[in-house]
Amino acid sequence: MCDSGHDLRQTRRQFFGTSALSLAPLALASLLDEAGAHEAHSAGAGPFAPRPPHHAPRAKRVIFLYMVGGPSQIDLFEPKSALVERDGQPIPESYLKGIKFAQIQEKQPRLMGSPWRFARHGQCGADVSELLPHTATVVDHLSIVKTMKADDTNHAFAELQMNTGWRRFGRPSMGSWISYGLGSESRDLPGFTVLLSGMRPRSKSANYGNGFLPSAYQGVPLRATGDPILNLSSPAGFTPKRERRTLETIRALDAARFDVTGDPEIAARISAYEMAFRMQTSAPRLLDLSSETAETLAMYGIADAARPTFARNCLLARRLVERGVRFVQLFHGDWDHHSHIASGLPDQCRQTDQPAAALVKDLAARGLLDETLVIWGGEFGRSSVAQGPKDANVGRDHNIDAFTMWLAGGGIRPGQTLGTTDELGCFAAGDSFHIYDLQATILHLLGLDHERLTYRFQGRDFRLTDVYGNVIEKLLA
Amino acid sequence: MPRLCRHTRRALDWALTIAIRAAVLLVVLPLALPLAISTVAFAESPDVAHWAFKRPVQAALPAVKSAGWARNAIDALVLAKLEVRHIEPAPEADRRTLIRRLSLDVLGLPPSPDDVARFVADPAPDAYERLVDRLLASPHFSERQARHWLDLARYADSAGYESDLPRSVWRYRDWVIGALNRDLPFDRFVIEQIAGDLLPGAAAAQVIASGFHAGAMYDPGVRWESVLDQVSTTGTVFLGLSVGCAQCHDHKFDPVSQREFYALYAFFDSAEISPFELAAPAEKTARDALQARVDALKKKRTDYEAALKQSLAAWAGGLSSDERSKLPPPAQAALPTTGGEPSAESVSNLLAARAASDPQFQAMCREIDERTKEVPLLETTLTMRAEPRETHLFVRGNHEQPGEVVAPGVPAFLHPLPHADQPTRLDLARWLVAPENPLVARVTVNRIWQRYFGSGLVETENDFGVQTPAPEHQDLLDWLACEFVARGWSLKAVHRLILCSATYRQSSHARPDLQAIDPTNRLLARQRRLRVEAEIIRDLALAAGGLLSLKIGGPSVFPYEPEGVLDGRATKATWTTSPGADRYRRGLYTWTWRLTPHPMLALFDAPDASMACTRRDRSNTPIQALTLLNDPTFVECARRLARRVLAQEAGDHRDRLARTYQICFSRDPRPDEADVLLRLLEVEISELRADADGARQIAGELPPEADAAELAAWTVVCRAILSLDEFVTRE
Repeated sequence: MCDSGHDLRQTRRQFFGTSALSLAPLALASLLDEAGAHEAHSAGAGPFAPRPPHHAPRAKRVIFLYMVGGPSQIDLFEPKSALVERDGQPIPESYLKGIKFAQIQEKQPRLMGSPWRFARHGQCGADVSELLPHTATVVDHLSIVKTMKADDTNHAFAELQMNTGWRRFGRPSMGSWISYGLGSESRDLPGFTVLLSGMRPRSKSANYGNGFLPSAYQGVPLRATGDPILNLSSPAGFTPKRERRTLETIRALDAARFDVTGDPEIAARISAYEMAFRMQTSAPRLLDLSSETAETLAMYGIADAARPTFARNCLLARRLVERGVRFVQLFHGDWDHHSHIASGLPDQCRQTDQPAAALVKDLAARGLLDETLVIWGGEFGRSSVAQGPKDANVGRDHNIDAFTMWLAGGGIRPGQTLGTTDELGCFAAGDSFHIYDLQATILHLLGLDHERLTYRFQGRDFRLTDVYGNVIEKLLA
Repeated sequence: MPRLCRHTRRALDWALTIAIRAAVLLVVLPLALPLAISTVAFAESPDVAHWAFKRPVQAALPAVKSAGWARNAIDALVLAKLEVRHIEPAPEADRRTLIRRLSLDVLGLPPSPDDVARFVADPAPDAYERLVDRLLASPHFSERQARHWLDLARYADSAGYESDLPRSVWRYRDWVIGALNRDLPFDRFVIEQIAGDLLPGAAAAQVIASGFHAGAMYDPGVRWESVLDQVSTTGTVFLGLSVGCAQCHDHKFDPVSQREFYALYAFFDSAEISPFELAAPAEKTARDALQARVDALKKKRTDYEAALKQSLAAWAGGLSSDERSKLPPPAQAALPTTGGEPSAESVSNLLAARAASDPQFQAMCREIDERTKEVPLLETTLTMRAEPRETHLFVRGNHEQPGEVVAPGVPAFLHPLPHADQPTRLDLARWLVAPENPLVARVTVNRIWQRYFGSGLVETENDFGVQTPAPEHQDLLDWLACEFVARGWSLKAVHRLILCSATYRQSSHARPDLQAIDPTNRLLARQRRLRVEAEIIRDLALAAGGLLSLKIGGPSVFPYEPEGVLDGRATKATWTTSPGADRYRRGLYTWTWRLTPHPMLALFDAPDASMACTRRDRSNTPIQALTLLNDPTFVECARRLARRVLAQEAGDHRDRLARTYQICFSRDPRPDEADVLLRLLEVEISELRADADGARQIAGELPPEADAAELAAWTVVCRAILSLDEFVTRE
């Protein structure tokens, strides 16, 4: 506080004292330089000040490709010949006992094999269906986990469990926890940025909310229409020159108030205004894809750079992590194919397969994958049995007992598949990895101990992983 | 300030207190004695030795050397600790700071420049106390305090969860405002909110008060979650205990077993959340008659449909093949020619197809529809309603694993529940505010203290459990808690005591001399600067712009909200900006969709209404800066403030600036501050004179005969002023 106080007094003297109150000589550049110096001084005070991890991190940043609705692992990653052979037969009684369906009411629903062809890919020989031809080309970068376990068949609660560690509203999201734990390394963009395309998660902004943490740790959605960040643009008539004058005035007067009151909160506010001002330049620059080559746009499959597609968002994710943003979360839906899976699933794959694979390749090519953890998956997977009569409308119900996610980069062992399911793809046969284990692992890779990252609220120390979670050692490189 | 007068007043105050206390003692002593004996039985347990589990005692006030500084008992207790450490209290803040501080704290509204001038010039020795009394008597006091309380009630206008359906519970919000306004004694305030519906001969208002729990998040499909929340909230709000920790296992620290958690659960389990009709009896009778007519028609239709079903086979047999082929495929499955026994589903499809083509049936449907439209929807508000249930413990907190049956009861380490065969929520409510409860008064005065000093005397305002050591100022906390009860649970009396103290009146400037000894101000040797809450930030800007509507109560309103906030909801939600002055109502009246909260409120730490929020954060972020600068509401306020100043102040720019500062900060600008702003103003005026388009864009809609460049330049200045730290801070 003493250092930043000194800084501010300097500024005040410059502003009020020597320059005969002329605003023009005070170049914004020097103010911003000072702001940078000031921020360095006040590290430890502000909500975004970088904080040391608990142990050496393997990943510095995370991109979570959240697949809203629950993708059908049976049709994407799990070739089950037994299921194809027994297609149409009732599911055995022994299986039924443990399964919780979300919608299926039938007493003995019928098994449904995948109509799509599978092949082994890459040196690791991972199974990927024909619906994900691009993902198939990056499997040697991935750890594919086939036995993820969730607890809730209800989308809204299951989303919350995946993203906040709790099946009810009100808890901080993973990105918030991480921002709280590590601060932000980006000086001009929000440290936890959210990109939305297609259908939104059912439990909406609670999936990237701050819960009971300070709102500084909220995920900031980049908006698809209008300002990319809410209220980013200055109102009509407020030209950059005018805004610079306004900002200088605010800074000078805030600094003067600091001089009177000595309240360090004012220094934090001055920093916030300066970062806001920088965001006004940096956010539009972030969204301006004109510097990207045609090859890059083609690799991601971006036809129209103005449309907020999943493809565009994947490219933005790379641009965000390049700019030091710590946690980027994409949400894309809807994978909830209770019906019309025959048309709906290929459609989702067309929208997401190429860009997700391109992101992994692009990060790898730019040397960013080593320190960027990429995660793909939704709140659960889909059932091995058919929902509805087997016609064009048929679909799959939810499966919370064994579903697939993949991870890449950021300290993840590349080119492996973890966990196997039973012959019908209903349950784990052997190792099962709970959502809490995934969360513990993500924190671990970032250098955080999930049992030590706590926040006291209502008389209790809360954690992302509640009272559960084990780091999945087998995932670590 | 003449000393004699103040002392006389204080002496009178204390004499009154002592008289009340003596009276209370006479009544309480006979009741308390047996209790005291029963407490002895617990004395062995270390839990009971915990400071907060013993009843507070109002200790004798310490002697202090600088007796002149202390204005009441609070000050004596604070000063005694400072003197031990040879620390001087901070000087009193100046009157302009004091009136703005008081107005923001008590009303959440800025004082008018006239109020400030009057107070500054008031020579009466009790000018400050009269100001406090005037503010406490204002209806806006209760709006301000109600918002704090609504944070605990996790009040919102929709049910939450994925569907997040709208519902009506604003009558409860208005009940809170009214109750605080008339200073309903806190014990009754609590009883009516926990169990107003169970009071013998409950008045409508008392039933409405049960919206405290009934207005929280609710989904009938996961009813138990609401009940769990009711238990946790009751523990947090009234006991300062994290009883929710005992949902899955015995509490790790506090003496609350899992069984005891479910004993508390049992009170709330025997209740249903239900809409309470507010209409007059005559309206209800009329509605019931119309509904009965609809019910009779429906019965008639059901009978007719049964007859159609009886003759379904014959009817189907009479269909031509063309007619058959036109039936929907699921109905065709039930046609006699298909062979075999048709499924129940296909039969009902066939019946539906027949009904669809039966003119008489269709006429009946039309009539039912029309008559249904005539049944008025009477206004309701959510309340609790008794609904006896057998409660089972959830094994490991899992509602799918019901364990042993648990009867309603309270944790054994606290005072016993008065004997009752089948204790109800009403018994629990009375137990919460029983004089023997060591926690409720402490927890409540601590939360009030927190509002005025930024943190409570007990910093962990929601945890008074064994993990929390006795606070530095336990004597002060206990003194206030006892005083609160002795003064008939009067909240306003507690507010007044704190607001009138010299401790509260101190300057909020940082004290470098105490930075090392007392960085977090536990010793209270100064006040603190506090950023005001989300709703108040907007209220202040609207007030500065002269836009704020001060209407109290009524249905929630829809101020400006950016587009896209409600996108992608599973259930439809609407946001049609309220017409007229309702756009500019105070923030606490803003409609809240739990699932898609208003971004401005969420940005400035308004709680998400999922769990009780006992303390709001005061975060300070770049996105907040962008909001104050660019949110259309704030830009509009800047324009209106500019217009207001130009219209009201005939003098030169310097006079106008002084006026602006008086409106926004209750003070005049310092010359150097004024110079900076006037310089900005002059540069803007000269630039905007040459830029008519820019001037019009900035100034917005122009009043007749306005000088666009001047108005625009003043808008630039006012926008900067509304973005200053001081504007959103109570000093």
